[in-house]
Parts: sequence; structure tokens; C-alpha cells
Amino acid sequence: MRHLECFVAVAEESHFGRAAARLGMAQPPLSQRVQRLERELGVRLFERTSRQVRITEAGTLLLAEAREVLSRTESFLAAARRVRDGETGLLRAALPPDLSGETVAALLADFGERHAGLELELHELSTAQQLDRLAAHDLDVGVVHHPCDVTGLELGPVLRRELGVLLPAGAAAAALAEVPLPALSGRDLILFPRAAAPALYDELLTTCARGGFTPAAVRHGQGASFVQGLVLSSGAVALCPRDAAPPGQGSGEGDVVWRPLTGGAPALRHSAAWPKGRGDAAVQAFAEAATHALRTAAGAVPDAPARPLHLRPASEYWL
Amino acid sequence: MTDAVARIHAALADAGVTGWLHALDIDSGEQLDAGADQPVCTASVHKLCLLVTLHEQAARGALDLAEQVEAVPEGRTAGPTGVAAMLDAARMSLRDLAYLMMAVSDNAAADLLLRRVGLDAVNATTARLGLTRTRAVHTFGEMLATVREDAGPDGARALADPRVVSRLRALDPARSNRSTPRDMTRLLGAVWRDEACTPEHGAAMRRIMGLQVWPHRLASGFPFDDVHVAGKTGSLPTLRNEVGVVEYPDGGRYAVAVFTRTAHTAATLPAADAVIGTAARIAVDALRARAFRSSR
Repeated sequence: MRHLECFVAVAEESHFGRAAARLGMAQPPLSQRVQRLERELGVRLFERTSRQVRITEAGTLLLAEAREVLSRTESFLAAARRVRDGETGLLRAALPPDLSGETVAALLADFGERHAGLELELHELSTAQQLDRLAAHDLDVGVVHHPCDVTGLELGPVLRRELGVLLPAGAAAAALAEVPLPALSGRDLILFPRAAAPALYDELLTTCARGGFTPAAVRHGQGASFVQGLVLSSGAVALCPRDAAPPGQGSGEGDVVWRPLTGGAPALRHSAAWPKGRGDAAVQAFAEAATHALRTAAGAVPDAPARPLHLRPASEYWL
Repeated sequence: MTDAVARIHAALADAGVTGWLHALDIDSGEQLDAGADQPVCTASVHKLCLLVTLHEQAARGALDLAEQVEAVPEGRTAGPTGVAAMLDAARMSLRDLAYLMMAVSDNAAADLLLRRVGLDAVNATTARLGLTRTRAVHTFGEMLATVREDAGPDGARALADPRVVSRLRALDPARSNRSTPRDMTRLLGAVWRDEACTPEHGAAMRRIMGLQVWPHRLASGFPFDDVHVAGKTGSLPTLRNEVGVVEYPDGGRYAVAVFTRTAHTAATLPAADAVIGTAARIAVDALRARAFRSSR
């Protein structure tokens, strides 16, 4: 491992002295380690002249792989440390941007109780970003939106949050206690950018269309205030779970109101996710805290597939 | 509804096809008409009429669906699927031939069944069900023979020539097996309401129609695992059809018949296949929206 670190440092600094300083070691042992590595691999990594060191073509080919191995090693060591210490170390976790402050607070309080000694590095990340980082082992655990590609992941229970609609208080549909999807016809829909969770984005639009709401246009927005601003100024509507709706619902509503949707309304489905085989005690604690917070603070319910499944012959399998 | 018809025509035009559609809410009788009474060549869609005839005769006791048939290679009707594509002798029951005829549009299976029931019986069945504009004038082998004959010595290659396509008798509803979109939804409605046959035979026909393998036409418009699609396609040079029934989990059942012609003579035109599903979906959505409005 140390040999690879030496190789990468020299490659990046193009200078034995600077690389040695960066690694906190003297120059002679550094150049010995690099030579030993070259002997072991049977590959010449650097051209050395009296004043200069330059990476060879072969060295360039191996550099990316070396960095990859090192980054894996770091996450391996971090995991090992956590496993060894049980209650201490660092957990890198992520949540999607659509959770309410209350839900996040409930999760953090619960997790703190379960694992007081653990340092939590929490990020707000889209599903796509979480999947990338989970795959690269830059993230230990997250909460992702389904549908998404779950290859290589282990999942906590899938929970469902029904979506309602945010609309201007003056809209005709706002007078209804529940809004049927076709009543939104002709309005623009505000949705998160597709890249954040492409499969979910497509599913939401397909479900709306099936229920009788095909938006005139789709506008992209994510932050709560930005979305509310668009709803107010343009008469567009946005999908939003009840727990993330703006405050003041019920009596004395604001300019933007939230209503439940009927007629085959779409829903958000989440679960905690972590890389297969890396569900240590800390990851499990976070996953359980997230599941608990979603159920208690965000009103999520277990996702039970209630609809019939009609496999078509083109699926080429049958149960 | 007129908006839906306009969108159907726009979708068809975008895909480079001319088309005629009729959609029927099987239970309420609500309809959508986008050229429902256009005389059209059925091509392999007529296998649906044959399927109904076969089951009707079985229901009357005129034949046994488990009756075995020898399918020998000599004189076998040609085709790219099923028994028509096989090299050796096979032996199977009438109902399994019917399955192949509907699942993969097997021409040899269809003609073996036609040999058993006769063309007149097929026309008697469609007449009895009130399909006044539906008629079979030849077997599937005979239909393909007219195409071969009209294409001339250059064979399939000649089918890229618009002049050759324009003189194909198989594409002339007056001289080939024919129907209208409205007649076909009427037939589907009868099958789904168990009016064409006994409930037992109706269920057998609906099962077979749900086993059609093609995902590219009608079914493509309904990308939902909880929606059941059953149908029968029909294709000839420049001609793409499908008739079928779409069933929603809330109980909604819609018969849709879509018949199209492409301007282009190419045999592979995925957009022309897919627009059959797109148009059907617009029609079904419109019928469902109408049902939703009338329920409020």
C-alpha cells in the first residue's frame, strides 16, 4: 500500500523531494520504495535524469488503477476501523433533498442515541449521486428513491410517501378537499431535474399521464422556496408529500396550498441503501434510524404492491 | 373527444402513417371514432375471426379442440414463425394450432385450422355477430400467393417499388380479406362479454389472445405491469394493424382496432409499429377521462 502511495505521490509531484516532503519521509527511502515497486511489477514507472523525474507511458497507464486501489483501501480501512471500534469512527451518510427538517432532525436524534460516539458526515444528495458514491465506496449508507438500479446494494424496507399537489390558493382546484389528477390538466408541472433520479422522474410523469394529467410543460426546480415561488408566480403545480408541504396548512393557509391527489396519484418510494456486504453496526443503525424517522416524522408506510401483475409473453419469464 | 381524435391523427402523421381507429368502452358502450368505418385489409387480424369460429364450432360440438392434426411439411403455408417456419412434420391439437396462430401469427397453423372449419364458416360467424362489413375471401396461403404473384419475378425485393406496392391485390379491401375498425371492436366486445361463445370458450380465446408475443404495437402504448393487453396483429407490405383489448385494474375494458398504411415501403419501421400503441393509448385515455367526468 505504502509503495502505491509513493508511486502516486511521485507521479503527481514529478519530483522526489516534493513527494517525500508530502509523504513525510526522507528522499532516499522514497526512491528505494519506488525502485522496489518497479522491480516487483517488472515495469519501469519513471524516467529519471539528474535533475528531473518523468512518468513513463507504462506508469501513466497504471496511475489511474493505483489511485483506485488506494481509494478502495481507504474505505476498507475506515470500515475495518468502525468494525473494530464498534462505536467510534466516521460514518459517511446521505439523505435525499425532499425530506422535511423535522424528519432529518428526528433521524439525527435517533441515530445519536443509537451511536453516540460515532462521527456522522451527512450529505444532502440526489439518488443518482448517492448511487455513484455508494458504488465508489465514498458513501457508507444513503436513502435512495425507487425505482433505481439496486445492483450491488443491500436495502432496508421500502417505504412509501403518497404525493399531494402544491398549487396557488386561487386555483379552482384548490377549492377541492382532494384534487383528482385530471383537474390539473393544462398546468405546468415543477419537478426535480431528471438527472437527480431519472427512473423516478419518468415514473412520476408516466403515472400522472395515466391518471389523466399530462403537464403542458415540465419546469425544473428543487428547493422548497424556489418551487413555491414558481407555483405562485406562474400558476404551475408541484408534487409534494404531505410532510414536506409548507407550514400553515389547514386553518389560515398561505398563498400556496397543499392538497391530496386522487385518481392513481404517484408516490415516492424510499429505502436505506448500502453497498452489499458492508452493512456494519453503524450502517445498520443509520438505516434503522432513517426507516424509523420516515415512518414517524414523514408518515411513510410500508410499500405493499397492491396492484395485479400481468406479465406479457415478451417478458420471457413466467411465475 | 375531438381533441383526442386530432391528437391521434397528429401522432399517426408524425410516424409517417395514415391510419383508422375505433375504440370502444366494452362496458359503457362509449366510443371514439377516428375513421371507424373505413374499409381496411385485415391481413393476419382475420385470424381472430378464425379463432372465434373455431371456438363457436367447438361450443356447438361440431369439433373437439383437443382433436389432433398432422402438420406435414408438404404444402405447408409459408411464414416466418411457428409451424410455418419449421422443417419437419408435427402433430398437435386444434387448440394448440390456434395458440400458435394467435401468439406468433403462424400462417401454417391458421391454414390448417381453416382447412378444418372452412372459409364459409368464418364468414357465417362474423355475419352472425353482426359484422356486416367483414369478409374473408381467401386463406392466408392464397393471400400470400397473390402478393408473390403481383410482386413478379423479382420477389420480395420488388416490394420496395411503389408501383409494385400500388398493384398488390392483398392491399385492396375490395379484393382481399377485409373489415372495418368498428366491426373489429364489435367482435372483441362480443368475445369479452361472452356473447360470441360460451363463457368457457370465451375464456379460452381471451387466454390465447393474451399470449401474443409482440410487444411493439398495441402493447407498447400501455407500459404498465398492472394493465393487461390482449391482441392480434396483421401485417403486409406498408400495412400494419392490431386489434385488441386493454384491461385496467379498476375494471375498465377497452376494445381498440387500429389499421395503418405507411408511405414508406420499408418493412422495418419501428415508429410505425409504436404509433399503433400511441394512438390506442390516446383513445383509451380519452374514454377513461370521459368515464371519470360522467362519474362525478
